[in-house]
Amino acid sequence: METTMSSLAADGKAKRRAWIKGAAAMLLGLGIVGFFFLPQMLFVFRDMGYTVTGWDLTFAQGFWIENAQGGVLVGIPWLPRAASIAGPALALCGIVLLLFRRTTLAGIAYVLSGISPLVLLVSSASIQTAVASQNISEISVGYYLPFFYTLLAGIAGAVLSLWIQGGEKLAQSIFLVASCVSIGAVLVITVYIIVAGAPALAEIGVFQFLFGTTWDVASEQFGILALILSSLAGTAGAIVLGVPIGVLTAVFLSELASPKVSRWIRPAIELLAGIPSVIYGFVGMLVVVPAIRAVFPGSIGDSLLAAMIILAIMVIPTIVNVTENALRAVPPSYREASLGLGATPIRTIFSITIPAARSGILSGVILGVGRAIGETMAVIMVAGNVANMPSLLGSVRFLTTGIAMEMSYASGLHRQALFAIGLVLFIFIMIVNLSFTLISRRGAKFHAG
Amino acid sequence: MPDETKTSLYHKRKRGVDGVLRGLIYAAAAITVLALVGILLYILIRGIPHLSWSFLSSSYSETDPTRKGILPMLINTLYLVALTLLIAAPIGIASAIYLTQYAKQGKLVKVIRFTTEVLSGIPSILFGLFGYTVFCTLFRLQTSILAGALTMSLCVLPTIIRTTEESLLAVPQSYQEGALALGAGKFRIIMGMVLPCAMPGVLTAIILAMGRIVGESAALLFTAGVSYHMPTGPFSHIMESGRTLTLHLYQTAREASSEDAMNVAFATAAVLLILVFLLNRLAALLSRMLKKG
Repeated sequence: METTMSSLAADGKAKRRAWIKGAAAMLLGLGIVGFFFLPQMLFVFRDMGYTVTGWDLTFAQGFWIENAQGGVLVGIPWLPRAASIAGPALALCGIVLLLFRRTTLAGIAYVLSGISPLVLLVSSASIQTAVASQNISEISVGYYLPFFYTLLAGIAGAVLSLWIQGGEKLAQSIFLVASCVSIGAVLVITVYIIVAGAPALAEIGVFQFLFGTTWDVASEQFGILALILSSLAGTAGAIVLGVPIGVLTAVFLSELASPKVSRWIRPAIELLAGIPSVIYGFVGMLVVVPAIRAVFPGSIGDSLLAAMIILAIMVIPTIVNVTENALRAVPPSYREASLGLGATPIRTIFSITIPAARSGILSGVILGVGRAIGETMAVIMVAGNVANMPSLLGSVRFLTTGIAMEMSYASGLHRQALFAIGLVLFIFIMIVNLSFTLISRRGAKFHAG
Repeated sequence: MPDETKTSLYHKRKRGVDGVLRGLIYAAAAITVLALVGILLYILIRGIPHLSWSFLSSSYSETDPTRKGILPMLINTLYLVALTLLIAAPIGIASAIYLTQYAKQGKLVKVIRFTTEVLSGIPSILFGLFGYTVFCTLFRLQTSILAGALTMSLCVLPTIIRTTEESLLAVPQSYQEGALALGAGKFRIIMGMVLPCAMPGVLTAIILAMGRIVGESAALLFTAGVSYHMPTGPFSHIMESGRTLTLHLYQTAREASSEDAMNVAFATAAVLLILVFLLNRLAALLSRMLKKG
């Protein structure tokens, strides 16, 4: 009897708690709706200040800007309008959903409502560009409390409405949202790079851009064939130099070295992987470049060859790690069978162990390619950075360094062209990534069967 | 009879090529080790003599030859590491928890795995490009430590997720079953038991991320910027531009025109190497702890 009583009481308590959470979430939502009618942003164009409520942003025609001819109306694009009405509208949805006890859906509505100020923040940049086109350069934007309130109340409302179903549900939702961040990040980056890179491709022409051989900012000639070929040549060189050394080092570690020796070498290779690329570039600049100058008199030293050597050293740790794991995964029975047939240990390594581990080695090589093609700072310090067609002793510019060299001062079409280089680089990396995924999947199948 | 012993099983067979191949293997290993030792010794021998307390604790100026310290860069690096981890560590750890403790092995998990892989493959210059236009320009953060930290958060997220995931998976299932049998809720089990058991692994993840942030340069060049001024205030500094040690090394090495200027670069490189080495050892120590415990 007593237990039923107490459980009933607990039940009542839980109900009351759920009710409080629901009510609080609804209050927060009402707040968002209410603040829609209060000042949200302050635009200052030259010396004119415009205090704008959410209502204004959504329904006003635009900004009346006075100039010598009297005045001009600068309209508001649809995205800031939509973002500004979306916050309160979604909060209202959340309240209604809470009334019908759809707590999960209400949570989603609240989160979206909380995100809307960020969208507004980003999209209101288009208002500024529109105003800037009226020859007004002094533009500043301020935000009022309602702006931040919507952001925080949206998230708090979501937490509260999910909490109604208990702490477990809330915790799970929070963990789920966190793990969706990386999905969101990849999506946003992909979309962004494509959207930012496409205009230049359209304006310059895909063919002209990819196969043009002159990169000249002054005359607005943006052809990146030299950059693409240099990047590919540098990567190929790094692989040709680095793979044999890396694979053989891995063979040494897994097949020949005593445990004592490999216990020293393995952390050393890990350290090699952790050294910042700027330090590789620094050493390359002070050691490799002068060495090339000394070996090939008359050359400038800052060259494709220097980049290849530095990149080779940088990819070795990746290749050693992956290859060693692959070699260790080869079953001992393979080696024993070979030795039993009378093959020498060295022959066993080269005819049995390495071929058996080839898919693992290949994925190591592909990881190395990814690292080499994406490397920027080490290359920028040793390659000379002139956009020449690749030649071993000539100064070259890679795709990566092409972006890094000019980003800080580029504007207009030049800047869009740099984004297009980013898009090309992104496509290269995606190809490398996809082939890595395919090969490691095939490798996994090989080991399973 | 003596001929037979030569071809017997007990006699070691020799092949001429073997010696050469064996030599190649040793040579390759030697090159790898020599490259590392060479880089380390070169930087440390040229850099350490110029390290001093005043180098670490004074400010920097490009024009004033008496002010060549790296205190602002140390502070910037520290700010960037702290701020990035503040953003990325909770998200990364929470998503690793979701992947290992809640998610059923299905589509969503596959998508998340794939996207983390893609994210870890994107070169840092593209992160820099993205961060510059989105965080600095669109979000109006200008070139600031905060914009750099947001960019770096994306870079280190895959590392944190993957390493934490591994350590969470290593916690024996029986522990959780025991706690479940005692009536503990799932959230409580994760917070009270799984996470503490996996702590060395989580710390390893964080240290690996720290190593990445300390060593990063391309993603920070346009996002955190290259200013070398002393911070104006502990909080306002978040919105100020500031170069980290790596970018300081890059800038000083490129602009160095005299022996003295080059010495600044060497000393900075030595500090960087020592930092990276310490972080690397710490990570190794922790992963050894994880294996034992």
